[in-house]
Amino acid sequence: MSDTTISSTPAVAGWLAERVAFYLERPADEIDPDAPLVELGLDSVYALTLCGDIEERYGLVVEQTLPWDYPTVNALAGHLSGVLAGR
Amino acid sequence: MTPPPTPVRQPPAGPDLELLLGDPTQTANPLGYAALVAADERGELSTAGERALHDHGLNAEFVPAALGGRLVGADHLMRRLRAVFRRDSALAIGYGLTSLIASVPVWTSGRPAQRARLAELLLAGGRAAACYTELPHGTDFGRAEFAARAQAGRLVLTGRKDLVNNVARADLLLLFARTDDRPGSRSHSHLLLDRSTLPPDRVTFGPRYPTSGVRGCQLGGVAFDNCPVSPDAVLGEAGTGIETVLRGFQVTRSVLPGMVVGSLDTMLRTVTRFALDRRLYGAPVADLPQTRAVLGGAFADLLVADCLATVAVRALHVLPEQAPVLAPAVKYLVPKLLQDAAYQLSVVLGARGYLREGDYAIFQKHLRDLPVVTLAHASSAVCLASIIPSLPVLARQAGDGPGEVSDQLYRWEEPLPALDFAGLQLAARRDDVCADLRAAHRELAGTGEPHRLTGIFVAELDRLRERALALPPRDRTVTAGRPGFALAARYTVLLAAAACVGVWRHAPAASFLAEPTWLVTALTRLADRLGADGGQRWSTGADAERYRRLCAELSDRVADARSLDLADRRLAG
Repeated sequence: MSDTTISSTPAVAGWLAERVAFYLERPADEIDPDAPLVELGLDSVYALTLCGDIEERYGLVVEQTLPWDYPTVNALAGHLSGVLAGR
Repeated sequence: MTPPPTPVRQPPAGPDLELLLGDPTQTANPLGYAALVAADERGELSTAGERALHDHGLNAEFVPAALGGRLVGADHLMRRLRAVFRRDSALAIGYGLTSLIASVPVWTSGRPAQRARLAELLLAGGRAAACYTELPHGTDFGRAEFAARAQAGRLVLTGRKDLVNNVARADLLLLFARTDDRPGSRSHSHLLLDRSTLPPDRVTFGPRYPTSGVRGCQLGGVAFDNCPVSPDAVLGEAGTGIETVLRGFQVTRSVLPGMVVGSLDTMLRTVTRFALDRRLYGAPVADLPQTRAVLGGAFADLLVADCLATVAVRALHVLPEQAPVLAPAVKYLVPKLLQDAAYQLSVVLGARGYLREGDYAIFQKHLRDLPVVTLAHASSAVCLASIIPSLPVLARQAGDGPGEVSDQLYRWEEPLPALDFAGLQLAARRDDVCADLRAAHRELAGTGEPHRLTGIFVAELDRLRERALALPPRDRTVTAGRPGFALAARYTVLLAAAACVGVWRHAPAASFLAEPTWLVTALTRLADRLGADGGQRWSTGADAERYRRLCAELSDRVADARSLDLADRRLAG
């Protein structure tokens, strides 16, 4: 997964925005990457579900509270990209 | 995956609660049915009961061994407390369980000093109250409005909590509060408050709420008005309230319904005695085929409830990756199993099912207590809602077993590694229990009914998997429509079936639990709950023969004063 086309911050942010858009049933380009997920409409339960998606996509085991502590698409992407680069 | 667990020796259990509480059928026993029904009539908790539990040091069961108590295994905790639930659910909740519910978050997330303070208090016989409920939000704690705001180096508390057991007589209050105005999952915290340090003019305790069941329990409310407390009151780190609830409540939501199995034991035992004593058409009522089906059916359902609860509590120790769905499954399905069985039993008892005096009066008390006890701590809707989001995840993980820890999940007597509260997870990542069911079905080829019945559940598992993956995103969360809730409910039945099959396959050879009789009856009844067995149960003499065998076992256990659960243990009466 050192492939930067997958693990770069913009690539991760793009994928995350698609997942968020899927749950909200909205187009991905409407997802503000700096808006708190909870304000977009993803409650704590969705956040747990999103963690499951992240684990599957990147083959990682992450803290299930990750989206609570990195509460926007960009914050999450920055964190995940760092983790992926460090592997 | 969890590291290979090391079984831990259980600390000395102290005197057996069963022996301590004595034969409940003896009218002279101050802790017997007659005295407990009388206390209920007065709307009081049995004073003799509270004293006996205090002298026994019951609270030590709730305190981890590392902190000086006797809690190592959730399985032991669940089975020991059945002795109290067998007699009086109000006493069990009012003396003990309330303190357990308030303690688990502290063991999960408390700082060392907070853990030590609670342990010390409980071991000295003190009480803790769990202040969660706000009437506008019920058990949906995430919407809690009770506020704790930082102000000039203090925390200032404002708001109400209601329907809190023992609130007015507790020494410590555990309180769930909003500590941040922002929306999200880092805005709530628990507070651990020493009652004696609260300024009396800022805290008001409301009147007691009268209830239809557990009438001796002292449910009340408490209101805080700009009440200053030390910032040290925050349990662990600020903002971890929801996380702590999601972790810690897995313990209480698994063990509590598992304890209440003791209440069905008493109801079934009472009705069995009645059916053996009372004669109709020249024979005991117990010999009528319809009565046998009710008694044998209730016995099978009691075993189902115990299997599911047992697997869930053992999963807390060895399969924390699945515990987040097993716990709400227990809290949803076990109360339903117990209440359905209790209703069927009340029909056999007839008028004695509602008479508040006489030899069978303990039955109506348990019948009234059961709905209140089983609603406590989480409603069935909340439980299903917490399963729904995991369904697509688990469907994608669908394996075909056996899982790595299957032996430890289903061998209910085997020692477990100590319960690690910090190791509890927030959401399920695996479904070993259903994977084990698939493996079992393959391996049971040629066994007749067990193979056929497990096939029904495997087919249902396949359908559930398809439907879970097809759930629209908006139906994967708490606001899901009926299909999401229906899938979650059916999933709990699959888990129960899988738990029964696992316990049966791992039972010691030649034991009652290794016989197919109870398993086939249990699975048939679970398949009926799914509407999945096309009325097979009406079809054959084999069915009647199984109920005859179950009733024979039941009568033996009642006559010998042995428990009706998996443990089949000696009772005081």
